[in-house]
Amino acid sequence: MPESLLPAQFHELEQWKEWSLATEQERSARRQASTMEDIKTFYNAMLARMEEVLPYLEQFSADELPQDATRLFYLTLSLAEVAPAVEQFGQPSVVDGYDVKRIVVQHH
Amino acid sequence: MKNGSPTLENGTRWHDKYPHLGTGPLSVDVFTSPEQFAQERERIFKKVWLNVGRVEQIPHPGDYFVKNLAVCNTSVIVVRGKDNKVKAFHNMCSHRGNKIAWDSQGTCRMFTCKFHGWSYALDGKLTFVPDEERFFGLKKETLGMTPVAVDVWAGFIFINVDPTPQETLQDYLGELGAGLADYPFGELSATSTTWTTEVKANWKVIKDAFQEVYHIAFLHKRSIPDSFTSKANPYAHCLSVQLYPRHGSMSLYGNAELKPTPVAELAFRYGAFVIRKDFSEARLPPAVNPTRSKEWTLDLNVIFPAFFVDVSEGSYFTHQFMPLAVDRTIWTSTQYFPKATTPAQRFSQEYGNVIFRDVILEDGRTFEETQSVLSSGAKKEIYLHDEEILVRHSHHVVDQMLNSQPITVGSHTNGKEESPRA
Repeated sequence: MPESLLPAQFHELEQWKEWSLATEQERSARRQASTMEDIKTFYNAMLARMEEVLPYLEQFSADELPQDATRLFYLTLSLAEVAPAVEQFGQPSVVDGYDVKRIVVQHH
Repeated sequence: MKNGSPTLENGTRWHDKYPHLGTGPLSVDVFTSPEQFAQERERIFKKVWLNVGRVEQIPHPGDYFVKNLAVCNTSVIVVRGKDNKVKAFHNMCSHRGNKIAWDSQGTCRMFTCKFHGWSYALDGKLTFVPDEERFFGLKKETLGMTPVAVDVWAGFIFINVDPTPQETLQDYLGELGAGLADYPFGELSATSTTWTTEVKANWKVIKDAFQEVYHIAFLHKRSIPDSFTSKANPYAHCLSVQLYPRHGSMSLYGNAELKPTPVAELAFRYGAFVIRKDFSEARLPPAVNPTRSKEWTLDLNVIFPAFFVDVSEGSYFTHQFMPLAVDRTIWTSTQYFPKATTPAQRFSQEYGNVIFRDVILEDGRTFEETQSVLSSGAKKEIYLHDEEILVRHSHHVVDQMLNSQPITVGSHTNGKEESPRA
């Protein structure tokens, strides 16, 4: 039997698996390449479950997430990435903004 | 709230505190003149302490990073030595001048030049010259990597390419440095995200955009419409302004009635970041939020020439603007967070990074747009609002340094300018 991508109680979020991205660059690129319709549908689906998702993830330490929880965690990071597009700008990119593709990101 | 200002008495202004700065318009030439830029390079950037990074970037002996400083005509290696001390060297081989480290960071036991294999210890000493006997009277002990003055303040690493720096880092940072030193930078620097880009604009155009609050209600009306404004304070008037001989500081008002968006509200539950505070006086040294206002959210600290250390409760961020040319600059912003121990805290910090990035993308659009018309000659002057006093002060300090005037101004009690020394 194939392993579930996500923890069982969040099974329906598996349709959004392409938003389960490990890096800011990938998530930012996907936000910029998506339509607002796709972004909004993903945003609404995630937001509807976040009251359960975050407490679920809280039971793990940040460095010891099992694989299925990691994929769920990455979905929450994508929710963070698309949130301003939905909540502030009404479009994928910052309105009247500097081009995000010109920015190099580094994490420490 | 009198005068629309949280702390100023009715009718008074920040400029009243610093009458020597005047209130008139300033010339736009400073943003476009190649002669001005050449002077800024020689009299400012090659003479003062410049921030190049933080100690967490080089935690262990042998760790190093490279900072290319076009404005100083050099590249600098910053390395943690075997003695655990931070050292800095010009990134240049004594043999024929090749750059030694070509990467941006790493760890090594010694530095070896790729060209002919000359090797240097972590303290800069030249330790090995291949086929040495075929040289002519080579004195290895005089041919180590050329050191660069380096020092650390509150975990921030500064260098000074002046072969004989005119003052210590401590003296350079002065009262502001002393006042901020006890802010918990170390604890809050466990993780960071850095955004870097090359901008076609003068470094001062970029710097000025970040050192005033007047733009907040307009430029950021989509991203953060009510974080720094309210009905009582619609123009984000500051809580305090402090000017030092070279540096400057302002305290920003935060809207306690802020209505977070749905995702922001989730993020706030698991962490603090700049547009929201969890005010706790015990954690802040007296220089931060000096009026101890309950409406405080953030202090901007502008360390001359081009380094910002902006501190909030539970998080801080920095900006740096390193000139490449009169109309080109490397803009770097970094946001710092304490260590996240749970995934929900990481989610919170991720949102903090995304909203910070999108806000500075709003700021960022103005730089090239402004620079593109600055040389038109259509406008000769800029006019400054009271809340843009850090802009005025900043231009004043540049002017003083280019004219080799002693830095005596910015005192809170004495506004008189000394006459220039011969």
